[in-house]
Amino acid sequence: MDPDIVAKAFVEHYYNTFDASRANLVTLYQETSMMTFEGQKHQGPASIVAKLTGLPFQQCKHAISTVDCQPSGPAGGMIVFVSGMLQLAGEEHHLRFSQLFHLIPTPQGSFFVQNDIFRLNYG
Amino acid sequence: MDPDAVAKAFVGHYYNLFDSNRANLAGLYQEGSMLTFEGEKIQGVQSIVGKLTSLPFQQCKHNISTVDCQPSGPAGGMLVFVSGSLQLPGEQHQLKFSQMFHLMPTPAGSYYVFNDIFRLNYA
Repeated sequence: MDPDIVAKAFVEHYYNTFDASRANLVTLYQETSMMTFEGQKHQGPASIVAKLTGLPFQQCKHAISTVDCQPSGPAGGMIVFVSGMLQLAGEEHHLRFSQLFHLIPTPQGSFFVQNDIFRLNYG
Repeated sequence: MDPDAVAKAFVGHYYNLFDSNRANLAGLYQEGSMLTFEGEKIQGVQSIVGKLTSLPFQQCKHNISTVDCQPSGPAGGMLVFVSGSLQLPGEQHQLKFSQMFHLMPTPAGSYYVFNDIFRLNYA
């Protein structure tokens, strides 16, 4: 399957899950997964999802502007680089963000997030 | 050596080279290297350096705001996520950008850029 299509499908699934129910993101991470959120480092699904579900807003909506992807090496991994906006309920202005995912294939033919780095882009 | 220190040293070196003489970036890429520059995909040292040296400005200065890094897997690779601003001579406003590097170790104990994705962050 075309890597760009795979990347876009993953990104959509990730942010739909994030925006609907952040706790469900747990299936996309494994024990070795690492996340750096605004400079703060977390490892493993429990810690990562605790950070995400603990963010100080109930509802949000991600609007994606760009998705770039490249294969990361012979192990079949894929790097996905996203930029977009995050709308929080009750906030007039969107927050701009960039996010990097390194996806590793699972035996079932899907992907999990091995590396995740999130940064807000301040104006 | 501390991975964060390695990442910061690499980033400092990369942008110093870029800002002083872009042609010298050739030493940091190999034939399998990939660059996606504002959505345009380029592969291999010559094509990548060809693209960077032909960008429509003679001089520039990168100012780095954030550097995040994580190990990418058992092959010893390192993901580096940078945000900053790019100053072009004669331009009043700096351009904000995000860039992702996936560094792979060389036998000589250094790193080269296997994956490189660059995006401007428009307001």
